[in-house]
Amino acid sequence: MPAPISTPPLRPLRKSPPGEAQVWLTALGLTLGVTMVVGLLVLILVRGLVVFWPQHVTEFTLREGAASAIQGKTNVAGEVVRTQWRRDGGGEEVQLHIGNKDIYGFNFHWLQSLDIVSRHQPADIIAIERLEYGDAFGRPLALVSTDADPLPATDPAFRTRLTAAVQAAASVRHQITQIEKHDIGRINRQMTSLARAQKSTPQPDFPALQAALQAEYETLAARARDLRATLSTPSLQYKSPTGDEKSVTAGEIVRFYFPNELGLTGRIGIFFDRLWEFFSEEPREANTEGGIFPAIFGTFVMTVLMSLLVTPLGVIAAIYLREYASQGVIVRTVRICVNNLAGVPSIVFGVFGLGFFVYVLGSRVDQTFFASSLPTPTFGTGGILWASLTLALMTLPVVIVATEEALSAVPRGVREAALACGASKWQMIQRVVLPSAAPGVLTGVILAMARGAGEVAPLMLVGVVKLAPSLPIDGLFPFIHPERKFMHLGFHIYDLGFQSPDSEAAKPMVFATTLLLIGLVVLMNLTAILIRNHLRRKYAASTF
Amino acid sequence: MPAPVPERFLVSKSTLRFDRLMTFVIRFGGIAIVLAVFGMCLFILLEVIPLFKSAKVEAVSTVPLSSSSEKKSLPKIFGLDEWSLLPFTYDGQNTVRFIDRTGAAPTTEHSVDLPAGAAVTAWRYHPGDQKIVLGTSDGQVGSFTVSYETDVDAAGQRTVTGSIEMGSFYPLGTPGQPISDVDFGGSGEDQLFAATQTTPDRIELHALLLKQKRTLMGSGEVEEIGRIDLTSQLKGRPTRLLVPRTGDAVVVATTARTVEYFFREDDTLSLRQEFSPMDGAAGGSGEIASMDFVFGDVSLVFTSPTGAMRLWSLNVPPGSDQRVFVYTKDFDVLPAGATLFAASQRNKSFLTGSQATVTLRHATTTVTRWEEKLPFTPTSVAVDGKFEHAGFLDDQGILHLYEIHDPHPEAGVPAFFHRVWYEGAARPDFVWQSTSGNDEFEPKLSLVPLIFGTLKGTLWAMFFAVPIALLAAVYTAHFLPADIKRIVKPAMEIMASLPSVVLGFLAALWLAPLLENRVPSVLLCVIGIPAAAMLTGWIWSRQTARVRSRLRPGLEWLAFVPILIGTVALFWNLGPSLERAVFDGDFRQWWPKTTGTSFDQRNSLVVGFMMGFAVIPIIFTISEDALAAVPPSLTAASAALGASRWQTVSTVVLPVASAGIFSALMVGLGRAVGETMIVVMATGNTPIMEWNLFNGMRTLAANIAVELPEAPVDSTHYRTLFLGALVLFGLTFILNTIAELLRQHLREKFKLV
Repeated sequence: MPAPISTPPLRPLRKSPPGEAQVWLTALGLTLGVTMVVGLLVLILVRGLVVFWPQHVTEFTLREGAASAIQGKTNVAGEVVRTQWRRDGGGEEVQLHIGNKDIYGFNFHWLQSLDIVSRHQPADIIAIERLEYGDAFGRPLALVSTDADPLPATDPAFRTRLTAAVQAAASVRHQITQIEKHDIGRINRQMTSLARAQKSTPQPDFPALQAALQAEYETLAARARDLRATLSTPSLQYKSPTGDEKSVTAGEIVRFYFPNELGLTGRIGIFFDRLWEFFSEEPREANTEGGIFPAIFGTFVMTVLMSLLVTPLGVIAAIYLREYASQGVIVRTVRICVNNLAGVPSIVFGVFGLGFFVYVLGSRVDQTFFASSLPTPTFGTGGILWASLTLALMTLPVVIVATEEALSAVPRGVREAALACGASKWQMIQRVVLPSAAPGVLTGVILAMARGAGEVAPLMLVGVVKLAPSLPIDGLFPFIHPERKFMHLGFHIYDLGFQSPDSEAAKPMVFATTLLLIGLVVLMNLTAILIRNHLRRKYAASTF
Repeated sequence: MPAPVPERFLVSKSTLRFDRLMTFVIRFGGIAIVLAVFGMCLFILLEVIPLFKSAKVEAVSTVPLSSSSEKKSLPKIFGLDEWSLLPFTYDGQNTVRFIDRTGAAPTTEHSVDLPAGAAVTAWRYHPGDQKIVLGTSDGQVGSFTVSYETDVDAAGQRTVTGSIEMGSFYPLGTPGQPISDVDFGGSGEDQLFAATQTTPDRIELHALLLKQKRTLMGSGEVEEIGRIDLTSQLKGRPTRLLVPRTGDAVVVATTARTVEYFFREDDTLSLRQEFSPMDGAAGGSGEIASMDFVFGDVSLVFTSPTGAMRLWSLNVPPGSDQRVFVYTKDFDVLPAGATLFAASQRNKSFLTGSQATVTLRHATTTVTRWEEKLPFTPTSVAVDGKFEHAGFLDDQGILHLYEIHDPHPEAGVPAFFHRVWYEGAARPDFVWQSTSGNDEFEPKLSLVPLIFGTLKGTLWAMFFAVPIALLAAVYTAHFLPADIKRIVKPAMEIMASLPSVVLGFLAALWLAPLLENRVPSVLLCVIGIPAAAMLTGWIWSRQTARVRSRLRPGLEWLAFVPILIGTVALFWNLGPSLERAVFDGDFRQWWPKTTGTSFDQRNSLVVGFMMGFAVIPIIFTISEDALAAVPPSLTAASAALGASRWQTVSTVVLPVASAGIFSALMVGLGRAVGETMIVVMATGNTPIMEWNLFNGMRTLAANIAVELPEAPVDSTHYRTLFLGALVLFGLTFILNTIAELLRQHLREKFKLV
């Protein structure tokens, strides 16, 4: 690295050295680049984290007959999303997240500042996050249950009782999910495999087996029904800011809080609670609510599968090119080509993945092993295995190039020393060259993983879906399901931002998902860079 | 002296064996992996090749159609079922025969119930709905339909049975006079019979308009609307007449070398157009030897007696509001006027020929897909509904069945890369429109708009990215202190791996709405920011050395941050004033009004900005490497000679590193060309060809991502998308190879220095 050029004035000059203005112009380039990068990261960080932070709910009183009133009511409340000047000079306008989609039919509303008489943040407003229709804002009236008198909201025990009811309902919901997804899912699978076996080789005891499974299913379904029935009580009655009285059962409530009287600790608590929900739950409401656990898990499994495939292949190819092949024109050409493949658009790899893996390999596999379930394809359609293979092919050049670089950085003296001690060529590679090249290989693999984790375009062709009913790895035999479609963080962003029916409502989730994805990619890259720097220092010291 | 112990130097057998094994594994594995990677290109290429193959037509079998007793009289009409298993013949009188192609099943006969005392004098076969239109000796017109039923038994064996279904007969024209030619059109409400009738002194042309009532129960009674005598409007004697399947027109060729086009409007037929289709054809005087519809009944193929062949299509010429026939295409010349014609019912191909020479052509591309001189003399030809078989009837009454293998007739170099005059279009053009709801739709597969879109997006992105990236690289490589560079460089490298879906989402949901209202502000910023930088630099260089020495050289960029933010804030807020002063208060309306091109929210400006963002780190990293690799001896020498830091950079560093910078541009270009998600998300994906900054585009990559999941495997559309991928692959591969060679060149150069 050359030292930066500076021209220190030997004696005080009246005139500056020529070209200072141009230097400032080049400084502009760096400033712009750095500002844009930092600005982008800050934008995503802020908008991604704000999603989880409980906002204040502001109640507005509007003037009589205001055009921006909802249903002609003079009261409206919600979280202020943003305030902006109108283009036509008609004052300010305020965008509110008003919730209560079941009442109004929309989630967001613009208020004209000219219509606003007063605004305040009343302490008694409750924010209810529901399983359906998103959030609700209003004033609690009472907790109504079938076996006791209604408990009015003014009662001191109201909040504890409501909290207890919501927690009880959450555990019941958990049990129902267990039964429906896990137990009934298992029976379904057994039934399908039984039916398939029956198709190929009829068994005499088939009806009996089927009846047994059916009976088991009936008991489980009945239990789920009973549990579900307990969710309908108690229910919370509340009054929306515009005056409609509604009620919501405790089973429908995910979380509730009083946004305007919440202290800092309460807010932090809800922040982390929501963050945890985001990481651990499945999506709800067309992916705009709930969590993104399946997407995180899908991305993780795909990336791991991909790196398991790409690492040995890339390392073997690199060892061959660097250690075994005779270094001539052909190998040099191959090297340039491999290098260039790293610059080939990812969508081209997707095209190949679809055309070859899915339609050629996949349909062969289906014809050979899954003929009984044809024409429904098993491997003949996109799936996590094909997606991983496609991305492995795409990142192969990255790993080859990085490994070759690492191999060539191993000093010649070390190799000769090993050979002189009587090691065979493979022993030399295995015991001396590979260990010292390992960090370099690792760098390549991490870079490949970062690229694979963030790539979306090829995945759209080979098996990513907006909502996967089941995970690619679960507790059911054979535990790993390489044929299953999967969810992916990057595709989740695309889908939420573009295919969502209510893109305004989806925005917070998109920003949160983006933050997570960028965090992952940056983290992986940082690791790779740190390893590389460490490596450079090590080799800089040990050259002969 | 003790003897050496040779065993000491021996390597154990297992080590050697293992070494040999690993050598084999790695050699084999390495070569296999490298080959597999290149196999990818080969696979894509193999998927594409069938698009450019011409048709294969091969004889499969012969079937005698005439029974031995009537060897001499050829069937008047013959046709094929969908699978070409059970051809039928119509003898021109009362008999329809279904003849098993293999001879396994006996020939079945069905009789045609003609009106009493009538003999058939004219006939016409419509393969699309398998309707046979008849004209009788006593001036009546009518039709019957041949229908096939297909059964597939448990073993997958297909059996086809045929039957006929009679339609009604209607009197037309002068009673008692024989009909000499007849045609029928219409499947829905409007139906139309047209016929020529030979009376003792002349040939008359009559049309019968019918209307089928629609009821809730389905199609109901057919009502006669009117009979029209069109004879007086003809220039010459009618030689051939056609009615399109829509039943809304009559097209008549005459001996006067003209064609009259009558159009049905308000339940009457009026002459809409008269034209001479073969006027000026080489070697002829404009006579019309044949006239036939191509599939869709919108285009007419004409031949002259000398064999010249032309296509006339219905479209709305500029300055008119009526669809009329316009001369659009020429085909290769036939030996003589066409005597055979059969249009495919799947695409715009048709089989035609004169004498023994038959040829398969595609109407849209005018390409001759296949041509051969047959060893017999065909008298008529038919193509089955799946465009898989063609049957030629020779003069001995023998049907020669040929298999047609032409899965991609609409493909080929002209379709992908030349202007094509599609039916209904006012002029030849590059069009990409791969799918549509309707059946007779013809896919338009020009890659040119996609390549154009790719270049447009790339160029706007480079326009934005190159200055920033290069300036930043120059500054980082030669003016920035090493300790800061250690942080800035990796930070920019990380940006290179930012997922493009993130950039695309930001472009579409954050940037596009933001920029939509602020175009004048953006324009001001583009001009204002560099100006502000130059001005600051100029003011700074005017200061005394005391002032200047307060700022450590290499920290200018930090000092610039507040200036930049101030400038942007200023111009951002000045934008609306400029908009009011210059752009009539609203740029979004001013732009279309002034330039005549559209203004979209998701436009090239947004794409250029975000895609620029994606390529800045790449160009920056590679060119910074090249700039920093300039040997210190050169810069030191320059400084020693008294050059200022800018003089050193501009006269020594930049020329030496120029190859490396160029290679950085190539790699950046390659990334921008293949960028998919940003374009999918941030443009409207409309395949238009305009350089307009304020509308969208459709790039090759985005097109693949959007359309490939829906394309049926191995269809023309699917393969065309593979071709798009191949073009993309080639483009980026070439760009990257140039870059790589330049980098190597640079390395050699520095070795010498």
